[in-house]
Amino acid sequence: MLLWILLIIAVPTFALLKDRKALHTVSVGISVLLLLIAGFETRNVILNGTVEYDALGGIFFLDALSIIILDLVLIIGLMAAVFSTGYLNEELRHGKIEPGRLKLYYILMYTFMFTMVFALTVRNMGIMWIAIEATTLASAFLVGFYNDKRAIEATWKYVIICSVGIAIAMLGIIFLHLSSVGLFKGPQLLDWTVLYGNAAALKSPVLRLAFIFILIGFGTKAGLAPMHTWLPDAHSQAPSPISALLSGVLLNSAMYAIIRTVSIVNKNLGSSLFTGRILMAIGLLSIATAAVFIITQKDYKRLLAYSSIEHMGIIAFAIGIFSPAAVFAAIFHMINHSFTKSMLFFTSGNILQKYGTREISKVQGLLKILPVSGTVFFLGLFAIAGTPPFSVFASEFNIIAAVFERGNFLLGALFTLLLAIVFAGIALTLFGIFYLKGNQEVHKQDSAQITDKGEGSPMPDIGALPEKGEMSKSGVAVIVVLLAVIAIMGVYMPSPLKDLIISAQQIITGV
Amino acid sequence: MEGYNEILSVLILLTSFVLMANKRVKSYIRTFRLQSALIALTAGIMGIRSVINEGSYDVLVICIIIVVLKVIYIPNLLHKTFASVEYKVEKDFYFNIPLLILICCGLVVFTYFSISRVAGISEGEINSAVVNSVSLVLIGLFFMICRKKAIGQIVGFLVIENGLFVTAMFSTNGMPFIVDMGIFIDIITAVLIMGIIVFKINDEFDSIDINKLKNLRG
Repeated sequence: MLLWILLIIAVPTFALLKDRKALHTVSVGISVLLLLIAGFETRNVILNGTVEYDALGGIFFLDALSIIILDLVLIIGLMAAVFSTGYLNEELRHGKIEPGRLKLYYILMYTFMFTMVFALTVRNMGIMWIAIEATTLASAFLVGFYNDKRAIEATWKYVIICSVGIAIAMLGIIFLHLSSVGLFKGPQLLDWTVLYGNAAALKSPVLRLAFIFILIGFGTKAGLAPMHTWLPDAHSQAPSPISALLSGVLLNSAMYAIIRTVSIVNKNLGSSLFTGRILMAIGLLSIATAAVFIITQKDYKRLLAYSSIEHMGIIAFAIGIFSPAAVFAAIFHMINHSFTKSMLFFTSGNILQKYGTREISKVQGLLKILPVSGTVFFLGLFAIAGTPPFSVFASEFNIIAAVFERGNFLLGALFTLLLAIVFAGIALTLFGIFYLKGNQEVHKQDSAQITDKGEGSPMPDIGALPEKGEMSKSGVAVIVVLLAVIAIMGVYMPSPLKDLIISAQQIITGV
Repeated sequence: MEGYNEILSVLILLTSFVLMANKRVKSYIRTFRLQSALIALTAGIMGIRSVINEGSYDVLVICIIIVVLKVIYIPNLLHKTFASVEYKVEKDFYFNIPLLILICCGLVVFTYFSISRVAGISEGEINSAVVNSVSLVLIGLFFMICRKKAIGQIVGFLVIENGLFVTAMFSTNGMPFIVDMGIFIDIITAVLIMGIIVFKINDEFDSIDINKLKNLRG
């Protein structure tokens, strides 16, 4: 409850502030406060199972599943707030944005945070829909923040595709409502706890229809293929902290809505066959689409965006299997993907500011020019591709184990093969950027430091390398913290987190 | 009273056919206004019925909001947006109109057969009001696909929203009140934001032809 109040107060505060430093401080301060409140609520959830308040018709609701994703939103939110300070100062210094727009940035960013928090803390599917649609609207101008041709094109695609997609989800929610007409009254309508509790009484044929529409609708927002077309554009054109928020938490919020529906439909139908087939098919399709585009990618931010599609596909696939182990792995994978991918997007922000280009072929010698960011990016790519000891490996491995456990050898093999292709794709396209290739002009100040200058080979002149050195302290601090988190989570999972994921899994599967 | 529903739903569906046949942006907006007025009328009849039967004013309030928002405010906003972006008379669609209308008929038939098979929506007899309103959603989607101008897409989006609203009304007698209110707030913000982006597209690309948005691929 406090979360809402704080965020509602936060937004106008930014409008009042003028000073750049004050804006940064308030932003980080609010994020820390939010995280503290979330920590308190997490404790409540661990102790009591759910958190409910009577105010406002009792629409506030938290349980293990929503608190996990809520904590993700706020942790990544804090990281984005810290990262933004350094990132935006740099952008201001280069005159990429005018000082006045800083205020707008923070207002929009916290409205965006508010809509996401709102979506995750209500119990009514209808209100959740409203909040998720509001996330699109709040983040629209963040995507188009640079106001150039490409950014505007990305914004237009983002707003139109997501709004229409979400409209389809509304049709699904109408059918969900229809399947329960006559059963409940007043505030119980569309309350997903009530729907889940009385799932057996709902009309199955309408519910199936509802599921398909909701999957298509929220699947658009979650970036599942073939509704993913907005995602690479929006993720690559947005400022990097916003890309991290979009990829790390927005996709999860949409996936959360799908998971809630899946659990209702499966309970009603008594088996996961219907939803499972669709989810697995759409999941594999997403991974395959992403694999194809990753191999041929020329823009590293787009590559990361396609990798997000891949990981959403993995999560959908795991939810489709719907065995306790698979759902556990799916939630764990959500957490891992959020941390890893937001870390990569932050790092790509550092690279973009240093090199001033998004093209893979124009970036090189990363490990020399940006020692810390380069190392983190290097390790992060291994992590996102699923290499041990990082946590993405742990959850992907669990998912693969769960498929084979269910006896779906063909699907398991296909899934593993696609993951291998993605791995190869990332390795092929991106690893060139870490080293210097061939003969080239080196920036005068650095020429002494760069020793392994290639000789002789008549490579075309790609232009001078930028100066050595990291962009900002905050930019480095954030990515190092995130790298530490994913490395530790790969080998050791704290027991409260494990209990929380297990209870979330029980909420979904009912077992 | 059931007869009214079906007549109105057919009329609303017809307006979407008219919309499909329109050639100019100005007539899109006019047709959209007519469609919204019909929806407001439907909501009005339902609202009066619910006042008499249950004494609740929710649907009537929603009817008034539709009149203010969708019949008056949004069409005016679209007119204003459209007047201020440059306009050259050019063909705005990919296929010719008779073909578009035929495809729309196909969509209605498709919806008819899909919906009539789902038990729970049509018990015993086929609920043609729901068929018509779901077709409206599909036609709205198709309208967005087949027009080139950004404003055409906004109108298509609004038609989809209209379709959703009538589906909810005909199948379940409306969503919970708070949900409906939230949807209206979302729509109005969405249209405002889209309007602003149309201005920006016009500034940057010197036209509102969305076929020129081709920079981002692969």
